[in-house]
Parts: sequence; C-alpha cells; structure tokens
Amino acid sequence: MSATTPFQFPPTYNFPPFFTPQPNSNTRLSQLEKWSSLIQAWCRHNRQYRLSLIDAIDTPLFHNATLRKRLDLAGARDVVEWMTKSEEEGGGGRRAEWLDASAGGNGAPKSIAYIWWRRPEEWADVIADWVENTGQRGAVLTVYELVQGEATVSQDFHGMDTDVMMKTLNILVKRGKIQIFGNEGEEGVKFF
Amino acid sequence: MFFKSLDLTTALRPLLLPDETLLFVQDAVGLYEGKYKIPNYQNGHAYLTSHRVCYVATEEPRKYCVGIDLKEIDRAEYQARFLKSSPKITIHPKPQNGKTDKSRSATSSPAIPQQSTLHPAARSPLPQTGISPSPSPQPINATWICPICTFSNPVPSNFDPATATAATNLPPCLACGIKPPFTTVLKAAISAATSREPATSSAVHIGAEENNTSGSERTDTTTRGSVCCPRCTFVNHPSLIECEICGAPLMPKGTASQIGSDVSRADSPAPFFQQTRSTNTEVSESIKLSFRDGGEKTFHERLKDALVQRKWLLQNAPPVPAPAQATASAGILPATAALESPQPAAPRVSAVGIAGLEQRGLEARMNNQLVIGNAFEDLEALMASAKQIVALAETLARESGMTSTNEGSAETNAVLSESAAALGMVTTKDMLSSGSENLYLSELSRNLAEYLTDDRQGILQREGGIMSLIDLWAVFNRSRNGVELVSPSDFERAAELWEKLKLPVRLRRFKSGLLVVQRYDWSDDKTVRQLQDWMEELRQLPPEDSVPWDWSMFGRAVTAQETAHRFKWSVGVATEELEMAEDRGVLCREEGIEGLRFWANYIVNPSDSVQ
Repeated sequence: MSATTPFQFPPTYNFPPFFTPQPNSNTRLSQLEKWSSLIQAWCRHNRQYRLSLIDAIDTPLFHNATLRKRLDLAGARDVVEWMTKSEEEGGGGRRAEWLDASAGGNGAPKSIAYIWWRRPEEWADVIADWVENTGQRGAVLTVYELVQGEATVSQDFHGMDTDVMMKTLNILVKRGKIQIFGNEGEEGVKFF
Repeated sequence: MFFKSLDLTTALRPLLLPDETLLFVQDAVGLYEGKYKIPNYQNGHAYLTSHRVCYVATEEPRKYCVGIDLKEIDRAEYQARFLKSSPKITIHPKPQNGKTDKSRSATSSPAIPQQSTLHPAARSPLPQTGISPSPSPQPINATWICPICTFSNPVPSNFDPATATAATNLPPCLACGIKPPFTTVLKAAISAATSREPATSSAVHIGAEENNTSGSERTDTTTRGSVCCPRCTFVNHPSLIECEICGAPLMPKGTASQIGSDVSRADSPAPFFQQTRSTNTEVSESIKLSFRDGGEKTFHERLKDALVQRKWLLQNAPPVPAPAQATASAGILPATAALESPQPAAPRVSAVGIAGLEQRGLEARMNNQLVIGNAFEDLEALMASAKQIVALAETLARESGMTSTNEGSAETNAVLSESAAALGMVTTKDMLSSGSENLYLSELSRNLAEYLTDDRQGILQREGGIMSLIDLWAVFNRSRNGVELVSPSDFERAAELWEKLKLPVRLRRFKSGLLVVQRYDWSDDKTVRQLQDWMEELRQLPPEDSVPWDWSMFGRAVTAQETAHRFKWSVGVATEELEMAEDRGVLCREEGIEGLRFWANYIVNPSDSVQ
C-alpha cells in the first residue's frame, strides 16, 4: 500500500533549529520526542516497518529541501537510538529496534532499525481482535495468507514485513492464542 | 563644631565636594564625644578629606554617618595606645570665646573708628553671617590687629580677599615684625569690605578687653538688647559672650531659648552657628576617634597637614590665575611663593608682533617649566599638582599629534580628560596604611562601584548595563593615567567584594567562566524578558527577503552579533546571554553554514508563543 496522499509534515519540520541537536536537555527531550513521532508517522504513512538510515537520510524525512536543512546520519542515529530505549532508561519507549548486523544485510551495525509505529505486542492485539471479530477461532491460516491474503486487505497488518509478523505471532504463541506449525518459510497458524 | 549629616555615594562613601579630595581612609574606627562612646558609631570607616573628617558606620551606613568640617577644628591631639585603650585622636573644636573670639573682635574693631555713628536698633545680632567675600575687590582702610603685639596694621592695598590664598605674601607687623596669620588679615579685609556696605547694616563690635579705645562706646549702647551677666549683674552689650567685668559666660537673649537647657554648652554659644541646621547636633567638647585597627599615625599626620593647608578656603575662590600660585597654595613650596611677585595683578607688559608671540611663548615655557619642576620636586607635590600635570600632558599630547596616531581613541581621550577629576578620588594604596590589605580592597571595591555607577561617565550605560571584567579593568586603569595601577588579582578580589559590601553593582560568572559586571538590580529574568520581547517583535515584522519557513509563526533567527548590536553589549557578553536564555529553554539554537543562530524555542511549545 503505497502513499497515495502526500505525507503531512508537522509544523516543527519547517523550524530550522529542529535539525540542530539542542544542548538544553529539556529542549533536547522535546526535540527527540518530536523526531520520534515524526519518524513513526512517516513509517506508518508509508507502511514501512524497517528504516534503513543510509537510504532514508536523503528522503524528505531527514532532508528538508525547502529549508535546505537536514539531519545528518549521526543525528538520525541518535534519534533512533533514543527511540530504542525504554522510557525508564530516558528513551522514547522502545519505538524502534536495531536489526542485528547480520540481519541488516549490509554489515554495518545500527544502520537499519524496525520502527515500531505499533509495537509487536500491539500488533498481536490487533491480530487477535481481527480473528475474534471475523469468527476465525479454530481456523488455520498460513502466514502468507495473513500478510498477503485477500481477507486481510482492509487490515493494517496487510503487507506486513514477514519478520515483524513472525515476532508478532511468537508473542501470540506465548500468550497461548495460536499455534505455529510447519517448516520455516511455510508456517501455518492455528488460532484458538 | 557640629556633626553634619553626610551625603553618601552609591558605594556608601561620603560624597565629596567639587574641590574636595580624599586624603585617608581607615576602618575599624569608633567615635567618642568627650569621654563617652557614641552608640552605633563604634565600628566604621573614618574618611579624611581636604575639607572634612567623615565617619561612616559599617552597619546601616546611611543612618549613621556624620562629618565634621575641618574649618571648625582647632587642633588634633594624638594619644598613643595605652594597655587596652586603643590609640585615639582627639579633635578639639575651635573655641568660640577664646582667642579666636579675640582675634575676631580685634579684627573687626578697627573698622569702628570709620563708623562714626552707631545704629544699635538696626544692628544685626549675628555679625558674622555675611562672611562670604564681598565682590568689591579693593577693601580700603582695612586694618588688622597683630595677635602678638596688638598693633593696628593696614591691610596691604593689593590684598584681595577673593583671590588671596594662604601663600600670598603678607607684610609683617609694622611694630613687632612678626608675620600675621593669613586668616587674621583675611578676616580683617572681609569685615572691612562688609562694613563698607550701607552703614545701617554695618556690623558693630565692641572692642574686646585689650582694646581700651572702645570703652566709651560701650556705654552708648541701649539696654534694649543688652544682656545681664548672671554672676555680677553687669549689663553687657549683646554682642559680647563673656561678661566684661567678671568674665562669666553670657547667654544672649535671642539664643537663650534655642540653646534650651543644655548648660554644658554655655561656654560655646557661638550664636550664629545655631542657625545653620537644626538637625545638626552640636559638639561642645572634643571628639575622639578611636583607632582599633591602627592607622592613627597616618591619619593624625594627614589631618594636621590638612589643617595647615586649609583647602576649604579655596572653595569659594575663583580659579587660581597663575598655575604657580596654585601649587604654592598647597603650602609645599615656599620657594615658589618667593619667586612669585607679591603683586599678582601687576599689569603685563604688552607686546605686539613677533616679539609678542615670542614673549608669550617664553612665558608659557617658563610656566610649564615651573609646573614640571614643582611637580617632580617630591611626590607629595606631584599629588598636589596632579591636575595641572594631567592638563599639561594632554596639551602636549595634542600638540605633538600623538592622539592622531592611534585611531579610535576618541573614547580614550574622553576617559583621559575625565581622569583629571577621577584622579582626585581614586583609592590608592598610598592613601591607606600599609598592611591593611582588606581595607585597600574594600575601598577599591567601593571606588570601582562609584566609577561604574557614575552618571557622568556612564560606563555601564554605554556598555548596555553589562560589561566584562577585563574591559572594566582596562578602562579603569586607563583612567588612572598609569599611576597607581591596580593589579588584576586585586581587581578581581575587589570586584568579588561588591556583593559583601552591598554595593549597587555585582559580579557575575557565566557558565564559560567569563566574569561580567552588571548593576545589582539587573537579573537574568530581565535579560530573558528583553530577548523575548525582541523575538516577539521579530515575529511581527515581515523579513526583508522571503524565507522558506513560516515567519509569522517562528519569527527569525538572531546571531550574537545582532544581539550585541541591539543591546549594546559586547559580542562575548551577547553570546553568554543568549546561551543563558537557551539554558532556560527560552531560545534554541540552529547551527548552519551561516554560523550559530538563535531562535525562540518553538520545539518545546510549538503551538503558542514562548511562555
């Protein structure tokens, strides 16, 4: 589901100091929160589950062409790093998660991150509700059907990143809501 | 002698009169009247100036501060430390009935023969109130009585009370050959001048005991204003303050009610002083200054010098015509006085043309030579003629074009020219007894505060109310003309004392360690408010060229330079103030290719304006 309507940037996006790391801790906190919500909104709008900083650094997300201002790679990494931390650690409530260097593919650590505009636990709730509402308890679905099937087109999790879906399903397994079976790549899910 | 109320400067030092100079300061001084301590006046600073002795208490200085005019002081005695008793200086007031009175009546009595008719009804009971010098320059027929042999001498015809100084050459007494005290002649000249005014208001004095000539006149006086002697019931003339027969002190009728029941002051009635100010308290006995922390010797020495120099006599005098005369007036160089012609008003030989120019040049050179020669003769003399030297140095500098070589020196020149005045009031180590480092620092601190808050110079105003300590140090030392420079460490320590001494300026340390000086009532909140107002203003004004952001929402960025320009701060101060505001979350920064710029903080409060 690609963006059909242009992304609506928040007003601070056009505020030049927004792109400069603020030394004042209060201001900095406020700035990070705003960046975090901007990144989440951007990813939600684009149905993006993982963000490659190196690729995104030239997108309008981090580069304001009208202001000729940009958040550089280090600045963006600081923001995402902050997002990965929990609020108790002074972070942004684990709204992001770094991919392992191996999983990231290009080797560099902390270059790709999941952006949790919905955290896996929240996704699990969404899926469980969907199953409940559509009366599919006891039904068996493949993961492919969940992500790409015609039945889920209207749902938010349609077209979800497979890795994210697997994380979500694993949470549901722990909750005892589903059972996963089958080989890797061809998993089936049974809802209870 | 009176305790007079003092005006204090912002730095809680006595406000000096135009010609007054500070001679000495000593702290930890207590004040006694007679034998007894005066409450609340037991720990304070004693200031000796050329005109006064001032006392300012450390606690509540505005409430407890008094001054005594040196002209009312007869003598000062030094009393050394004895066991637990601190060294003291006893100041004795001029007795109003003793020898001063004799000389006063003696000086004025010779005028009586010229006043053939007496007008007792119109007689003023306060004969000395018109003491200010009469504008008439040539008092004729004036005579002065020699205090040694009581011979009546004529006042020299060239003696002008308006311009004469203590150094003016006076002819000795014709009978005994002793030079008269200057004041005797001056008083004689003045009283002669005042008595030449309309005869009805003439001051009439009955000759004192030593003048037998006035015996018959005494009987002429009507009894209307007479005073009956309380001891022998002799009816005395009202001008007398001592009974002529028995010598008992008299209480004139007019002043009896004012004096009230204070019997102890009966021997110093001095009626005309009663009128000066009702708030003043009179000191009948001596005053003692108790020096708990040393410094009494220097104080005593300088007090004696000041009493000899009598600078207060110059207060009403017009500017001294010849510089050499002024130098001599300090009473330091008798040689100069001798050089000087006894007739300063002697007509100058006028010459025209080149000869005239040459002559004037020669005169000027000789004059300069004299000034320089006098000044360097010894250091005391240098201090005395500092003003002239500064003026001379300025003239020389201007003539030699020195000032044109260093650019941007308009300010320097202004400071330099003001410094002549400043030189008179600076605190120098010389002014304080050695070893009292703390006193030096606190005086320097007060001095600095005065310098900063002086409206004439407006140092702080010019710098937008805030100034870095280094700049201040440079300006301050420059204003001292390279004499008695303050070392940086002394300067910093003096500046740190401001807070403790509750002076109207304060030292502030920015985060970066930059030290600045600002008014005491100036706070960060005020600065922040100023900056906010400015930001709001920028939000209202459309920017000159189009900007990619919403200026009506975010306004415009400012640099430290712009801020410095707007508030007349230095750039360093502006940077610090901006960062202070940023630290408070009022501003936020933008780093870009244009450099560091500051914005109103819309990151924290995007919707509304900054709180």
